[in-house]
Amino acid sequence: MKLEKLNPSVKMFTVLICAILLSVQYLVSLNVTVFLISLFLLTFFSNARMKQVLTILIPAFIAAFGLFVTGLYYARGSSIDVTELESLSAVPYAVRAAMSTNLYTAMQLSTRLLAYAGLGILFALSTDGEFFISSLMHQCHLPPRFAYGILAAIHLMPTMTREFSNVKLAFRTRGMRVHWYSLKPIFTMLVNSIRWSESVAMAMESKGFCGDAERTYYSVPKIHWYDLACSLGSIGAIVTGMLLLRY
Amino acid sequence: MTPSIAIHLSDVVFRYVESGKRNILDHVSLDIEEGGITVLMGSSGCGKSTLAAVLAGLYPENGGFLESGTIELYGHPVSAMNQQERAAYLTMLFQNPDLQFCMDTLRREMQFCMENICVPKEEMDHRIGDAARTLGMEALLDQKLVTLSGGEKQKAALCCLYVMESKCILLDEAFANIDSQSVTELVSLLLRFKQHGRTIIAIDHQLGHWADAADEIIVLGEGGKVLQRGISPDQLEEFYPLFEQEGLYYPGRAASQRSIFMADSAADHKPETAASYNSGPSTQQDQKPAAVSFRDLSILRTSDKRASRFRQYLLSHVNADFPKGAMTAVLGPSGSGKTTTFLSVLKQHPYEGSILIDGTDLSRIKKKELFAKAGIVFQNPGNQFITQNVTEEVKSSIRIWNKDLSDEQCEKQALALLKEYGLERYHRYSPYMLSQGQQRRLAVLSILAGRQQILFLDEPTYGQDYRSTMAIMEQLSRKVKDDGLTVIFITHDQELAEVWADKIYQLQGQRFVEGRRTS
Repeated sequence: MKLEKLNPSVKMFTVLICAILLSVQYLVSLNVTVFLISLFLLTFFSNARMKQVLTILIPAFIAAFGLFVTGLYYARGSSIDVTELESLSAVPYAVRAAMSTNLYTAMQLSTRLLAYAGLGILFALSTDGEFFISSLMHQCHLPPRFAYGILAAIHLMPTMTREFSNVKLAFRTRGMRVHWYSLKPIFTMLVNSIRWSESVAMAMESKGFCGDAERTYYSVPKIHWYDLACSLGSIGAIVTGMLLLRY
Repeated sequence: MTPSIAIHLSDVVFRYVESGKRNILDHVSLDIEEGGITVLMGSSGCGKSTLAAVLAGLYPENGGFLESGTIELYGHPVSAMNQQERAAYLTMLFQNPDLQFCMDTLRREMQFCMENICVPKEEMDHRIGDAARTLGMEALLDQKLVTLSGGEKQKAALCCLYVMESKCILLDEAFANIDSQSVTELVSLLLRFKQHGRTIIAIDHQLGHWADAADEIIVLGEGGKVLQRGISPDQLEEFYPLFEQEGLYYPGRAASQRSIFMADSAADHKPETAASYNSGPSTQQDQKPAAVSFRDLSILRTSDKRASRFRQYLLSHVNADFPKGAMTAVLGPSGSGKTTTFLSVLKQHPYEGSILIDGTDLSRIKKKELFAKAGIVFQNPGNQFITQNVTEEVKSSIRIWNKDLSDEQCEKQALALLKEYGLERYHRYSPYMLSQGQQRRLAVLSILAGRQQILFLDEPTYGQDYRSTMAIMEQLSRKVKDDGLTVIFITHDQELAEVWADKIYQLQGQRFVEGRRTS
């Protein structure tokens, strides 16, 4: 059983509810557990590439570290704690701060961020975009007009990347200086994109696509018992953790 | 309301801006009967594409203003139907193969098309299988559409129209950017459509594609008006004067024209070029020093490391020389790597072996020096406009290359150039408002206004009528003669290459084969 198989809409709501639950608790152990379980599931029950997981986690770790340091030095009550330890002036400030109760606050903040990151990538890397959109259309009543618009845009991306490098090259060969931050090629690209989106829209319309009319579907994502079981299981586990865990 | 009339237009007046003065379609009336292949021809900017969009109901829904007139498909007014209902009567194949798909593979795209017209789910697989078999697309069903060549994409798009089973298929210059072999295949597919009783209407500049297939040829003039209809391919010759007057192609026209042009210039320039054209291969060109040469050049399809296990070579161990001060054409099937090769020459794509520019190895030339020497005109001219005004576009090129000129002088030169290229009417327009053909002319013009010595042109004449094609090629040819410009152009048009190029390379099976013309 792979995570990709689960109904994306149910998965999305599960992840959202879990995140909301996590935001009303202060348990370091629960945060860490959620993070580790997310990684575990991604590693063994999904097709996500580990390299991708780690690349996304690097900024999350940096942010978590930043939050940790912030929590350590500037959390509520920090000044009081540091003054109390003033007598031990031989001990460096960093250590004094670390010895204070702020350490726990800092841990709470940073592990919570990691738990969010874990849940986020758990959803993002184990969900196929098209399946997700199709599920949104059927389970959440996203209008087909938007759904297929998004799909068309996604599928246009490779062409757009290619064209963008052509634009930059064309500019360079015309004797213009182009840097990665230059706005002119981006402007050209935007003008082109508008034209393209019109062309694609007209192509879709000429193939009978009509935002409001009835349509049939080749495959309709369904909600199975195991989708609900997984969802209830995860939410239940977090609630249990909130009740039983102490730190 | 006769059932045998497929499309009926009467007194249609259409323009893009409601308050504008210029009507793109000016009182157009046209009836086309069911069951045949009709080819609509007309000069660039005469409103052919607009006519197609109006017919398909895409305009005025997506823009523009229909002042008057009725448009009917099989007796049903277009404006009274929604897209879904219209698709039963008319579907369209567009010019740009990249911009026709909503999904990522052909199978899913076909599913999408059938979902649109409410085909029951159970029937879909059967229809897909049938279409793929009939059109020979089985191998491509589950390939990503992005990875297909232009010709394959058009075939895929045609496949979608096939499953939708609409009565009439409208092609808007759908073959403009496809190699001749794919065109032949597509036309034979369309003949099969015709056998199934479908009506085919094609807008095209190249009559050659349709010489055997067309039942009727209609010539449109300014404002989309019908100038002549009922031309059948075998009585084509009678209408050559009309084609000439409207600046359109007819088979064999380019060759005759070039000899006239060459004869004119032969008197004062280089008689040997004209002579070489008539007497086959000449040794003269081979002695010219090469502006660009390939030595043992190999190019991989993709520079993506992840895909390196599919190491697929576009070129392998190629040696080729592109003579200085001459025009060289590169022909080859779409997707064979012509464009990629030139990206390599411009340092945009990795290669193995060596590329020499004027005898210096490319690896020792800095990008900046390279771009001062070599320019490129892309297939999509919209990519290279650096300003929002036609005059400004040419002016800025002149300014970059002539720092000492005053603004008025630049402006004057720019306007003179625009006049020469027949674009002075549009000098206040934004480049994006021009038609495809005009955009390309402007793109070529703004590059020519610079002073690069080597010019790469990717399909310089695609989507253009005869007149603009000749205008561009003559201009280039003159630059080559007068200023010793080196032109290397990619084309699918064999005739064009034969007529204008001093040297022809065919890209076949990863190699550059020098194709001498047989005169």
